[in-house]
Amino acid sequence: MPVISPSAFAPPVVPRATAQAANDTAGPVSTSLREKVRRLERAHSVQHAGKAAVPTGLPTIDALLPEGGLLTGALHEIEAGPAPSGRVAAHDGAALGFAAHLMGRFAARTPGTLLWCRRPSGVFDAPPYAPALAAWFDPARLLVVTARRDEDVFWAMEEGLRCPGIAAVLGETRATDATSGRRLSLAAEKSGVPALLLRPQPAPPQSVCVTRWRIASAPSRSTPGLHDIGAARWRLELRRNRFGAPSIAEIPSWLVEWNDETHCLAVVPETLHGSAGARFDESLFEERMVS
Amino acid sequence: MRLADARALVPDLVTTPGEPQADQRLIEAIADWCDRYTPWVAIDPLGGALAEEGAEACSAGGFGGDAGLLLDVTGCAHLFGPDEAGERALLADLVARLARHDFTCRAAMADTAGAAWALARYAERQADLFCPRHGQRDALASLPVEGLRLDAPILETFVKLGLRRIGDLYPLPRAPLARRFGDLPLTRLDQALGARDEVLEPRRAVPAFRTRLSFVEPIGRPEDIAAATSRLLAALCRQFEQAGVGARKLEIALYRVDGSVDRTSIGTSRPNRDNPKLMKLFEEKLGELDPGFGVELMILAAPEVEAWSGTQDVLPEAGTLALSLGSDGTIDLADRLALRLGPENVVRLLPRDSHLPERVQVAATVSSKPAADGAWKHLAGLKGARPTRLLQRPEPVDVTAFVPDDPPSVFHWRRHAHRIVRADGPERIADEWWRPRPDGSRPPANTVPPVRDYYRVEDDDGGRFWLFRDGPYKLAASGQPTARWFLHGFCA
Repeated sequence: MPVISPSAFAPPVVPRATAQAANDTAGPVSTSLREKVRRLERAHSVQHAGKAAVPTGLPTIDALLPEGGLLTGALHEIEAGPAPSGRVAAHDGAALGFAAHLMGRFAARTPGTLLWCRRPSGVFDAPPYAPALAAWFDPARLLVVTARRDEDVFWAMEEGLRCPGIAAVLGETRATDATSGRRLSLAAEKSGVPALLLRPQPAPPQSVCVTRWRIASAPSRSTPGLHDIGAARWRLELRRNRFGAPSIAEIPSWLVEWNDETHCLAVVPETLHGSAGARFDESLFEERMVS
Repeated sequence: MRLADARALVPDLVTTPGEPQADQRLIEAIADWCDRYTPWVAIDPLGGALAEEGAEACSAGGFGGDAGLLLDVTGCAHLFGPDEAGERALLADLVARLARHDFTCRAAMADTAGAAWALARYAERQADLFCPRHGQRDALASLPVEGLRLDAPILETFVKLGLRRIGDLYPLPRAPLARRFGDLPLTRLDQALGARDEVLEPRRAVPAFRTRLSFVEPIGRPEDIAAATSRLLAALCRQFEQAGVGARKLEIALYRVDGSVDRTSIGTSRPNRDNPKLMKLFEEKLGELDPGFGVELMILAAPEVEAWSGTQDVLPEAGTLALSLGSDGTIDLADRLALRLGPENVVRLLPRDSHLPERVQVAATVSSKPAADGAWKHLAGLKGARPTRLLQRPEPVDVTAFVPDDPPSVFHWRRHAHRIVRADGPERIADEWWRPRPDGSRPPANTVPPVRDYYRVEDDDGGRFWLFRDGPYKLAASGQPTARWFLHGFCA
């Protein structure tokens, strides 16, 4: 007697002895079903998510993303990951930098206002500082909204997503609310405006987001012989990639470098595990993409 | 009469302590309620009764017995009927409605506030309470001089001199009267007779535009209130169009059957007379209004209006920016957000050319002029590397450094130690000596202004911080360093 798996998408657990008999029916059905679901999901994404995608500017990463970039009209989540030493990051600078980079990409594609909704959390308040953000987009286009409650952040984001004059919406909040996430996602799909959720700490995932990134800071490289600060480096992890191409690694991860003088973001090639002794000039291998 | 005397006369007298504040609140509530007749309502500063040119007095006996309201009903009585009939109807309506709320009152109407005040308090016959146009001289002649709102010593002297009626003052020569009693009696007399202006100060700013809608049956359902608001708004928008203005602020007031008033207002960042957009703003607020047991009257007023700028702000000046903030609904979005979150919480960032990091970024309301295209890029190009987040107020940190003038090797912030591996700096930023200090004083000449030395540091985890030392390293007499360290921002 074949055992039907409770999950429609998991392969049926079949005792070895009866596998041969069950294969005739359960096998083809499950694969065709899965194929159908995949096609539906893809059709859904292409049909409703605004069809367009904005490249992140990193070809290695864009290759994995659906339509070659971040889908507009969808919700993307960016969270600050723990520091390389495993400690909780002191601040979300790296995640903010990556979010600002994406906002810059969206802003370059569409004219319009960038809506930045935030809820000051904790005991100190550190709002975004425009002179630094000017590296990614023109801060004159920013509309900064400060809310005292998480519901208000979600509400402001949703209102922004419905407004035709908005190029992109970013929300900074610690709250995880499945209903709000779903509403944001629907609003984004309807209007084609991209929505970013920036989280200062790792949080339970929003099931509706199309991509989910975890960004942590990484030590930069000084000029040899000096202790000066090099270009900022971030560890990027793509922890969810709905509709995207599968990757070899379970969680694809890159080390990227943001050069605040040339304003370009580039993937730094890493040596493979076990070949720690291998050293080469990284700059020769860097994929550069002027943002 | 004192309480002890009263108790001696009536042993089982019921007494309650007076509550002047509660009385004040009550009279203010009644004044709010009187807004239904006219926006120009004043609480009588003398605690008496009141009125004027088409105005009436109501002297509510009971609390202090003296409380009174002055209503300027000029141009309002036509809602109740033509000319004098309307004024009489308004007066009767006022008294009847107050009586329904169990207030005993006497209301008088006259051409001047002074005459109405005197009539409401001292008229002997009910018929005298309504003073026909230009009739105040005759009406007042037989009233006691107390009706002139004079101080007690003057009144005493008047009585001693045999001047008991207001009419007794008419034939007296003015100059000796003024010499003997000062200006006050003549001023009051002239005000009562209409020879001199008397300005009533309304409790609330009198709006230039106002529409009202009263209901035969009280309404209470949210949909009904929304529908009524929409009708009022349509009428008001027509008024705006005729006057060539747009609203910056609108206020809606619900007059409930129990005599209380509930109001709420909306604001816009530019003059607006677009009915659907204003209605959308109201929809946010209507939920806050409590209709209570029912609403019998709604008044929509525009306390702030500005000349209508029409389509001017849609002109594509300064490239994409003006476009992006103009016609595409962003302003309306900002209005909606500001309405719910407060106007100070919905801001644009404007650049300011300043050396001090905290002064560079100015949060301005949406109605202010946006930054020019590229102004930020230009400003950012002038500055060094800046953090992506700037703390509103710098946080003090504990720092360890090998050499005093070196960047620190370890700093402690919020009980976490950060070992610094890399550092850039210092970037010395001096105070702007040409600017007055926050307390208004100017720094003395020929002194070195306070400086900050900024360092951009990276800890062993790659986290980046912006630290500064508030002055050069120096040792105080006690051996403690004078300069302190602060954390001012987080870099990407």
